[in-house]
Amino acid sequence: MRPREETISIGGIGVHTWIGGQGDPLLVLHGAGGNRGWTRWLAQVAERFTVWAPTHPGFGRSGDADWMDGIDDLARFHLWFIDAAGLGRPHLLGHSIGGWTAAEMATMSPGSIARLVLVAPVGLKPETGEILDVFYYSPPQLLTMTVHDPKTVPEWDELYGRAPTPAEIEIATRNREMAARLTWKPYMHNPRLAHVLPRVANPTLIVWGREDRVVPVECGEQYRRHLPNARLTVLERCGHLPPIEHPDAFARLVLGFLGGDTRR
Amino acid sequence: MKLYYFSEMPHHEFPDEEGDKYPSLRLEFPNRFFDREKAAANYRRYLTEYEFADQAGFDGLMINEHHSTPSCVNVGVNMTAAVLARTTRRAKILLLGNILPIEDNPVRMAEQLAMADLISGGRVLSGFVRGVGVETWWSNTNPVHNRERFEECHDLILKCWTEPGPFRWEGRHYHFRHVNPWCLPLQKPHPPIWIPGTASPETAVWAGRRGYTYVPFLVPFEIARELFDYYRQGAAEVGRTVTADNLGFLICAVTAETKAKAIEAGRHFVWRMGPTLRAPTEYFAPVGMRSRAGTQFALRARPRSLATMSYQELLDGQFIVAGTPDEVIDRFARVQRELGVGHLLLEAQESRMDHPTTMRSIELMGAKVIPAVAAL
Repeated sequence: MRPREETISIGGIGVHTWIGGQGDPLLVLHGAGGNRGWTRWLAQVAERFTVWAPTHPGFGRSGDADWMDGIDDLARFHLWFIDAAGLGRPHLLGHSIGGWTAAEMATMSPGSIARLVLVAPVGLKPETGEILDVFYYSPPQLLTMTVHDPKTVPEWDELYGRAPTPAEIEIATRNREMAARLTWKPYMHNPRLAHVLPRVANPTLIVWGREDRVVPVECGEQYRRHLPNARLTVLERCGHLPPIEHPDAFARLVLGFLGGDTRR
Repeated sequence: MKLYYFSEMPHHEFPDEEGDKYPSLRLEFPNRFFDREKAAANYRRYLTEYEFADQAGFDGLMINEHHSTPSCVNVGVNMTAAVLARTTRRAKILLLGNILPIEDNPVRMAEQLAMADLISGGRVLSGFVRGVGVETWWSNTNPVHNRERFEECHDLILKCWTEPGPFRWEGRHYHFRHVNPWCLPLQKPHPPIWIPGTASPETAVWAGRRGYTYVPFLVPFEIARELFDYYRQGAAEVGRTVTADNLGFLICAVTAETKAKAIEAGRHFVWRMGPTLRAPTEYFAPVGMRSRAGTQFALRARPRSLATMSYQELLDGQFIVAGTPDEVIDRFARVQRELGVGHLLLEAQESRMDHPTTMRSIELMGAKVIPAVAAL
């Protein structure tokens, strides 16, 4: 089924959203790099779930939200999105800052979501390492640090293989600005989050790349420890973008955890 | 035209090849290269030079502030102002300036500036700056809030100076339940406010609306004229007339008895243009700090980075003036003719320019240049 794009108005903000697939709803929250659209893993997951992939306010083609100060604001906003879009009690999957957002949403309203998938989420302070300061590096430098091996990324050419157009540069700048707005200080984490994660009894899958140079794997261990019903799967030869670096394996993992079409 | 003496208080006390190993002298160059003994001596030396500039007849003493860089170890502009308030007699003390967006307590800043103004007998010129990105990293202030914080910090300082306390301040970035500073400036209603500019049209318009003295730093004449046009546009919006007293300009300058000596001394300014500005884009312009208009203007204002220019090109471009007193007077007169400014700020010491050379330049400026330029 071909995905469609819609702009859903929430609190006066137009939220650009990819929607597609069939089955129970799955809400997908993107990372700081922005909404990459209907990529390979998403198409596979959409065979069994109705995927809703909104672009965060301030990112891409969604409206501004200069009033937001942190990821907790974004989390409240996406809980509102669930209501506004009439998703009922969707599964929730988030990557990187989207994963952090998903974790915050689960602590705020665990009953609003079914199963939770956190993909290399930021949000917790590493105990020994550090989260890479993504704003300190240029976008090209950052890209090389984000993936383990560009040669193994099946969609590399489609996603990164040509020079960006001026419109794409503008969107990338906007994404970066909004990410800075939401995560600057404390950098990429919420010191209070660990205290409320134990509230989240939802079945949770945590996915990490073994070679993640942006967010150390130890943060995955922390999430697993704090969440009462979570398991951690670490993908080998994988950096910070598991859904892009290993789309097929990642989609299988997600489908396996969410139980395929059992709830259809 | 009035002349101002300025030193960045550099700490060029390390082998250059060590600095070259790092992506920038700012933020990344380890402070194990900071020489405490030499710094102690340098601070005393730099303050002596400022005091001599006061005695020599400079109209003002300009001081600034940076962090995490050997290019400027004046890490507290209000501290320096307090020292000069007591050790100088006559010249204005131009703080250019306090970096408002990285300030967490504008009330304390209002108090400190007021105290410096009181101690100095009302000689403070209070410059407010947005800062370069390096200070945003240093202070860990969100760059996307830079302009909002600049304006709100400014508004609260002004309110401290002009409205009776106690009052409450609940803003976007600053929150104070009880504002009632028991220290107000001697100058009424408050010290004159100065604003520097390098690339931001918004800042020029903003300063023009308020009638603040506006000073482009080290830009080509045509860019300075363009920024002054933005300033005039802001002034026109509120029906203000712009005079030479509203406009200033900053260049590097040194003089000596002979041209050869001056040219030799002027070479020290190249360090300030080159190695100390070398850095990845993100250090100086972190994401969100500049508006799109500011970014586009910056590209036009600096078609070539100062860091890539030779000494001769910097001399030819009027970024550096080095000559005998007569030659220097001639160059300053040209700045005045080209730009119509009432204030010329001289970055007059840099890098490893030694104390005798600096003192001699100050002396000659006082004896020959300042009297001649005053008539312009």
